[in-house]
Amino acid sequence: MRVLTLSLLAMWSAAASARTDTSVDAETGLATWQTETRGIQVRLTQISPDQARAFYLARGFSAQAAERYASQCVFMTVVRNIGDAPIQHRLADWRYLSAGQPPRAIRSKAAWERLWKQQGVPEAARIAFTWAQFPATQTFAPGDWNQGMTAYSVPRGGRFDLHFVWRAGAKIHSGKLEQLRCADETS
Amino acid sequence: MKLRRRVSGAALAACCVFGVPLAAHIVHAADLPPLSHSLTLQAPKPAPPLKLKDLDGRTHDLARLRGRVVLINFWATWCPPCRREMPSMERLSQALEGEAFVALAVNVGEDADTIGAFTSQLDTAPTFPILLDTRSLTLQAWKVAGLPTTFLVDSQGRIVASAIGGREFDHPEIVKAIRELLGK
Repeated sequence: MRVLTLSLLAMWSAAASARTDTSVDAETGLATWQTETRGIQVRLTQISPDQARAFYLARGFSAQAAERYASQCVFMTVVRNIGDAPIQHRLADWRYLSAGQPPRAIRSKAAWERLWKQQGVPEAARIAFTWAQFPATQTFAPGDWNQGMTAYSVPRGGRFDLHFVWRAGAKIHSGKLEQLRCADETS
Repeated sequence: MKLRRRVSGAALAACCVFGVPLAAHIVHAADLPPLSHSLTLQAPKPAPPLKLKDLDGRTHDLARLRGRVVLINFWATWCPPCRREMPSMERLSQALEGEAFVALAVNVGEDADTIGAFTSQLDTAPTFPILLDTRSLTLQAWKVAGLPTTFLVDSQGRIVASAIGGREFDHPEIVKAIRELLGK
């Protein structure tokens, strides 16, 4: 375990910086960042606070619970295996870095689940929440991909770098999306 | 950093969050993550139990489908790739009509009204059964980690292939793989 942790620390600090493509929706101003490196494609698209609120209100969240999630910096996240060998993904290995903060892990689905239970969110709404988040773990065969939400504790309009990690065979790889920006309240 | 200004990013986000109602007027299909057309073959292993009711309250039991090849797709209406791949699942189902093939769509956590509101928007309503996994227990038994996930079960009740993420199910490669299982 110690060796793995040390390996990940080394990965986060040495995350490969492949080209990041950015596109902006001319209509809404919401942005997408995408990078491809060594058989993996990672793509994050801003989700506005209004979109996050509306999605969870429509699935049975209370206004308070929906606001709790919408207060985060939420992105639609896509990971795709574009290589020719299986890759293993573990969201707990990812880290995000914003100014003045140490590297942070993405809040897990299990942690959210505990919070929603405390807040009395109905089971059906919690099920929708769980499956709408990006998978905690996954093995992507060539051609496989997943899409789901990831949430970051970064202020509106704030920027951060995302270090993502994956395994292929016995090797651990990492990559980086730089200067991701949280959607504004008015996006 | 390369900046490509095009109508895509936010439209995608809107689609991802809200599905068709918000997305229909702003999403350009070319900007969505493309559907794949691969199946990952695996060493045959017995499929977990699957016994669920459909939208009409009829029970479907995978164990009673021995002798047929079964495509099992786990999905939800709010899952954008699930929505996009469903018409191709219907086309596949129609292409293999009359053969020893069954498609089952297992919905996660939603009710019949919600599902009906989605399927009524499709050009062709699904003719295959849509099953209700209300508490996502079947999904967990099948060790699904993300939606959509699809399994191909052979005539002996064994999982022989899987697909994670949206697929174009009537793509020739997938049809060929199923026909090979059907022995044709």
